[in-house]
Amino acid sequence: MTTVATAKGLISAHWRRWAPVAVLVGLCIVIGTVSPNFFSRFNFIGLLNVAAIPLVISMGATFIILMGSIDLSVEGTLALCAVAASMLVANDFTGVAIGLLSVPVAILIGGALGLVSGAIHVSLKIPSFMTTLGIGFAGIGIATAILGGVMVRISDNTFRYSLSLGRPLGVPAAVWIAAAAVLAAWVIQERTRIGRWLYAIGTDEATARNAGIPVERTRILIFGIAGLFYGLAGAMSAAQIGRGHALIAQDKLFTAITAVVVGGTALSGGVGSVLNTVVGVFIVVVLNNGMVLMGIEPYMQKGVQGLLIIAAVALALDRSRLDVVK
Amino acid sequence: MAFEPKKNISRRTVLKGAAGVAAASAVGSFPMPAIAQETTWTLANSLRSVANPYHATFAKGGEDFAKSIGATYEVLVTEGNSEKGIADIRALLQRTGGKLILNVDPNDSPDARVIVEEVQKAGGFVVTQWNKPDDLHPWDHDPNYIAHMSFDGVPTAEAIANELFKAFGGEGGIVALGGILSNVPAIERKLGLDNAIAKTNGKVTLLDFQPADWNEQKAFDITQAWLTRFGDQIKGVFAANDGMGMGALEALRQNGLAGQVPVVGIDGIDAAVAAIEAGEFAGTVAWDPLWTGGMGLAIPYAHVTGKIDITKEPHEHREFYGTGIIVTKDTVADYKSNPPKVDFNDLWGKATGQIQYRG
Repeated sequence: MTTVATAKGLISAHWRRWAPVAVLVGLCIVIGTVSPNFFSRFNFIGLLNVAAIPLVISMGATFIILMGSIDLSVEGTLALCAVAASMLVANDFTGVAIGLLSVPVAILIGGALGLVSGAIHVSLKIPSFMTTLGIGFAGIGIATAILGGVMVRISDNTFRYSLSLGRPLGVPAAVWIAAAAVLAAWVIQERTRIGRWLYAIGTDEATARNAGIPVERTRILIFGIAGLFYGLAGAMSAAQIGRGHALIAQDKLFTAITAVVVGGTALSGGVGSVLNTVVGVFIVVVLNNGMVLMGIEPYMQKGVQGLLIIAAVALALDRSRLDVVK
Repeated sequence: MAFEPKKNISRRTVLKGAAGVAAASAVGSFPMPAIAQETTWTLANSLRSVANPYHATFAKGGEDFAKSIGATYEVLVTEGNSEKGIADIRALLQRTGGKLILNVDPNDSPDARVIVEEVQKAGGFVVTQWNKPDDLHPWDHDPNYIAHMSFDGVPTAEAIANELFKAFGGEGGIVALGGILSNVPAIERKLGLDNAIAKTNGKVTLLDFQPADWNEQKAFDITQAWLTRFGDQIKGVFAANDGMGMGALEALRQNGLAGQVPVVGIDGIDAAVAAIEAGEFAGTVAWDPLWTGGMGLAIPYAHVTGKIDITKEPHEHREFYGTGIIVTKDTVADYKSNPPKVDFNDLWGKATGQIQYRG
């Protein structure tokens, strides 16, 4: 009986790997049929541009989820990094103007916050859910305290063009940066020890520990790496909107986690990949774009979105290893 | 909730601090000639937080009026905590023996009833701003509940929509970004836009309306999709607040359309005023917190000094809307160099009609 179940599991596992891609292709066909504009070059570039920041954020989120943890600090970390970046380039709030150097600073602030989350989570054994929620609130709190309800206006055009408005080879700068971030995430996942340990910890932490993997150190490091991605996304958000403020990351957490899960990465850890997440981000972005293109009633949109997300997860989820669903 | 004990400690500290400030201001006002009736009343504005520009200016409006009559003035800050807001008002009523004129922006609508009842019990006078339950009326608490002031989203949105139409020549399609569907201001502003469109007799058409939930990123994403769907059919973008308007403007900028497709918003935030100067925004509506901050004290003061009898005033002087200031490219320079002035003797000069309850 066990053999039969395994064989069946293998076949459906093979099919399931492609489920998110099938969902994405299906969505594109439906939307494109109703609204032929969907397949225009203009819309394609627009879609890439809208997907850029969610892509960078969800690369970090994927690592955390692969490890079986969750990161709710996304909005706070991103907001603080965006505010920091906007205050370091030419702006109407501070006299500082270090130009593009502000980008690595924002990235490092994100990384540092991630390390703090990771260290608290591991050393005090506080669930990542709670730790990152706290760090996220702290991030928004610090950003609010610095600004006191004001918004920083960015006047550094080099910064804005390099991270967002510029169009090398006709493709928005943000898209090139997002592509580089995806590549970096893929290399970390496939070509480093951390990447392999990540899966081991997410699959079964006790076994990973017995195999000699430094579980604590890896966890802390992964939270730090995820923070680097949020920091980059923060700088990109500030460049895109041309302003920095404490609420700049509103709703970005939900988009990121939805994209990761819809892409087929299991919240239980150990299953999935950053490439799945790329597909997941496009499912979410194409869906939002398509609802406006097809003229679906605003009152219906959230309902349609919810149902499609459940359907996508139902198709992508590998149930063979799920004994208990919580 | 979990941090309740800590809150109590900090409240005590805050009260101590407030007492200290009061003592200091009493010493400070000592050399002032005591004009018997006029200085025996303490004036206070209660607001959410001086961290946001609207409330900081609201507090300043109260201070301006208090200075003009040489009275003691205090600012109470709720920090978004209804309990703290009410407790501070109780403490001040006690300290002044009820000789308090209070201009309050209640943290939440239900707070207004508690505050009005406390003030009435103590014999003080109160004006409320923006938030109150629909069935709480000043004339039911004569004479202590002087008035309630608010701003009407319907004519405001209609006026700014007309500025948008003017900016693109009055003929063509527009797209509109709304707030959270269930918010009263979102509903009012949508109604105002619909009215403005109806009055163009088909010259202006609404290509699409999408709620972006007051969120600039959502506004950015939706505008990007609109550009695909409607392309150069879009002659203008209406946003129910400036934040969403900024999101739409940045999406236009990504496609080289900033300044070519006009955008309007509401609120009068700095970034929107700057965008008007840059020719990218066609207009915004600035509220007038200096006026609400001052008149919310001036009207009760006129009653206290016998200049008016508030109980004899008509209902449109007891529950009324203020006037938003339309800022466009023609008026932006003037708006920045001559911020709106307030005449404390013209009690209802800037009021625009009795508050309506649209269910």
